[in-house]
Amino acid sequence: MSPDKKSPDEAIDLSKNTCPNREHRAHGTNVYYGKASQLLKDAKEGNVKCSERKFQQSGGCVLNFYLSNRVTTIRDAVVIFNAPVGCSAGALGYRELFRGVPVELGRPAQYNVNWLTTNLQQNDVVYGAGQKLKETILEAERRYSPKAIFILTSCTTGIIGEDIEGSVNGVQPQVKAKIVPIHCEGVRSRLVQTGYDAFWHAVLKYLVREPQEKQEDLINVASMLSYTWQDRLEIKRLLGKVGLRVNFIPEFATVEQFEQLSEAALTAPICPTYTDYISRGLKKKYGVPYFLYPSPTGITNTDGWLREIGKYTGKEDEIEELIAEEHQTWVPKMEAIQEEFLKLRKDGEKVRILGSLGQGRLVNQLPFFDELGLQAPAAMSQDFDDLLIDQLDDIVEKMGDFDIMVNTFQAAEQANVTTNLDPDLTLTCPFQGGTWERDNNVTRIHSLRGDSDPWSAQSGYAGAVAFGNFLLQSFKNKSYQKTLSEKTPRSYKDWWYEQPDPLYYLEKGK
Amino acid sequence: MTENRLQSKQGAYTLENPSKHTLEAPRFSCSLAGAYGTTLGIRGGIPILHSGAGCGVGQLFGTLYAGGQGAGGNEGGTSTPCSCLVEDHVIFGGEKKLRNLIQSTTEIFNGELFVVISGCVPSLIGDDVDAVVNEFRDKVPIVHVNAPGFSGNSYEGYELFFEAIIDQLLTEKPKKKKLVNIFGVVPYNHVFWKGELPTVKKLLANIGVEANIIFTEENGLSNIQQIPAAEYNIVLSPWNGHRIVKKLEKQFGTPFITFPSVPVGAKQTGEFLRTVAEKLKVPSKKVEEVIAREENWTYRYMEYPGDAIILVRPHSYFAVAADSNTAIGITKFLTNEIGYLPDIVQITDNPPEEYQEIIAKEILDNIDTVVKPEIVFESDTYKIRKNLEDRPFQFLFSSSLEAPTAMEDFGALHITTAFPVFNKSVLVHNYAGYDGGLRLVEDVVSSFVGPL
Repeated sequence: MSPDKKSPDEAIDLSKNTCPNREHRAHGTNVYYGKASQLLKDAKEGNVKCSERKFQQSGGCVLNFYLSNRVTTIRDAVVIFNAPVGCSAGALGYRELFRGVPVELGRPAQYNVNWLTTNLQQNDVVYGAGQKLKETILEAERRYSPKAIFILTSCTTGIIGEDIEGSVNGVQPQVKAKIVPIHCEGVRSRLVQTGYDAFWHAVLKYLVREPQEKQEDLINVASMLSYTWQDRLEIKRLLGKVGLRVNFIPEFATVEQFEQLSEAALTAPICPTYTDYISRGLKKKYGVPYFLYPSPTGITNTDGWLREIGKYTGKEDEIEELIAEEHQTWVPKMEAIQEEFLKLRKDGEKVRILGSLGQGRLVNQLPFFDELGLQAPAAMSQDFDDLLIDQLDDIVEKMGDFDIMVNTFQAAEQANVTTNLDPDLTLTCPFQGGTWERDNNVTRIHSLRGDSDPWSAQSGYAGAVAFGNFLLQSFKNKSYQKTLSEKTPRSYKDWWYEQPDPLYYLEKGK
Repeated sequence: MTENRLQSKQGAYTLENPSKHTLEAPRFSCSLAGAYGTTLGIRGGIPILHSGAGCGVGQLFGTLYAGGQGAGGNEGGTSTPCSCLVEDHVIFGGEKKLRNLIQSTTEIFNGELFVVISGCVPSLIGDDVDAVVNEFRDKVPIVHVNAPGFSGNSYEGYELFFEAIIDQLLTEKPKKKKLVNIFGVVPYNHVFWKGELPTVKKLLANIGVEANIIFTEENGLSNIQQIPAAEYNIVLSPWNGHRIVKKLEKQFGTPFITFPSVPVGAKQTGEFLRTVAEKLKVPSKKVEEVIAREENWTYRYMEYPGDAIILVRPHSYFAVAADSNTAIGITKFLTNEIGYLPDIVQITDNPPEEYQEIIAKEILDNIDTVVKPEIVFESDTYKIRKNLEDRPFQFLFSSSLEAPTAMEDFGALHITTAFPVFNKSVLVHNYAGYDGGLRLVEDVVSSFVGPL
């Protein structure tokens, strides 16, 4: 990192209404295709930037990527979308999302989460909606007496210049719930990851309390929406064996769980790009230590993750015992999977796998693929920023250089890269429409939180084996993808697939 | 709690203002979402969102998945072209970005009709979207739908879409005898649209009437272009599509017939066919032959679950919380064909005030029972649930929002029948026509049967 840059920690200023955008705090981008080494070089020289695309697809905004569906899962809270009705529609699945997890697996039986919208209309746009927001807050309090009320903002409230803090401060004395305004105006940032930071900023500013007593056995784990219920169980199991408890946030957490973040012994990631802001903020304000890498993805990374936790909790010896014990169970199973993949090799070449999601997964998953004996001809990442330069440097050093594509759900760019690289297996994000219409193997890269099947686990030792088997399974029948690719028209005109530059529509020279 | 509600006890009802304020988990999205879903319902229709980057992804979750687990397909969700407006554009305007986006979209996409849909942001910053779209009119079929989210709900987006089509694309065509257009079934928000529309088409084909259903079929653009050629427009909704057919009547002189819903089961379908036949001068002998044949078949089938219905759950009270179309069609069927008792019907799609009385009357005047349901117009999920407390109903026909807790909250079996539907994949499933009524019987009976 060049010396003129401020540390990302310094950018966290809780006297402000919200966080800086990822673009500014960490020089993030969502456009790149080329060698990882070049991207790293550019990043170190401060030359990474966002450029306009002449062709772009709906990749999610600060509100409607993460927050709209997920903050609505926080228990004993109400979420208010200060927005036209469409901004909240994604949250309609809020009850079913989590109800799929059986109570027997630890889902609380009483699980009622609720959200309201201020349902902004033309008149509100003209005359302002401050009064309406206040009334909605009072209505939320009347209906549910929640412990917290999260306010999510929108493009519309941002552009018409609503004074959210003014409204909140005006009404807070009348309301028992802690009101937590989150600045997630869709137009504020090109990077959806700004939404994570905006959320954590609000949590740090409004919800986390001064520690009443240190809980030396409590580990904060900020889980990401794409990890499953089984991943939580695995992490809980592993840490439980060495006498540690897990505080999982934010999904399905109670408000109390946020309040006590300051009391934990450590903040540990399962997705560093997601966890970054809360981890740094807790360290800065309350001295809670953290680490960002590795995540518990694959055997080696899980070992490393546990060892980091051991260091901070003084449990190095117990962790070494745990690792040894777990290896006896899981390593033979991993070896069996590696054998299976070896058998799939053609002409002595490694099986080629394409797909990643988020730079957090990128830095953790590539070593895992390597562990399985798979080769990734390129890596795809939703975003890239300064936060994980060192980790990526480390990976390039260990694994050699590779191509990296940075985009947030740009289906056409991904279709182009996938066609040109023609991997044996494409790992797709489920939200990518026609990209599964391929005549080669396709499966998902992640699963969704409601999935409580052990088969869908990805974290820890059990997750490494489960996901390895899951990937193997995708080689066993490709009839759905193959049939659809034969029987349905392609999304784009032929020239697009044949064209070598996936960033053909990038406005260059800006 | 009462500010927003139509009170009705035993058939007496009063109207109050349609909901314009705070809503909890409303069962629709915004007008951009409606125009977007409608465009995606047309094969070869390519939506181009002039909006923030999240509008397409938000509606992937909130409209497409919510409409019976539809994936985005080649043009939906994260594949949808979008100008992805950010603060730079708010300051300097988004017109250049839109121009580039339309140009590139027409270059890259296999598509027939390009539909630029403007959301909240360009409307607030004052982009001249019409001017940009005009630059492309001689190159490709293209329309601009101005649908900022704060202008109305999903159903409004459906009207805005067709108003744009009429104003910007359609030209006079010679009338074609026995050709009708079907309106009032809103893609995704009427979750069974993919099955209902082809069913209606087949029903009408049986009596020699050709239905232009516009959605689901190949040749989306030519279906749209032949709208002015129809002899009649048919609306299958008490309010959706009414603005469209009035406009078409004014512009192209096409008369219209309206029905309160998609016909569900034999009785409603017979009435539907007879009414259409009369208007289109189909000989009644032919129609009566079709109806007699279908009824013979339908009612033989209806006998099979007779023991289950009469021994296990006879004359049961039921509650409905659904959009107007769905609520009317299934309430009449359940009451008039399997002898169930309507306890409360909550209309969730926020129909304009002038239609509310018509909707309530349509139900109250056309059910063959002494029980008159309470009719409530309510879009707020909290209030919908409050209204369901302490009532005798044993079945709840509503969105999947209540599916996980209908039994614990209300002691009722839940049948998912209205938007949002996350717990079912809906492809051909629907309740339209003769076999549609049987399918509704299947879904009801399946919710309670076991060994007798």
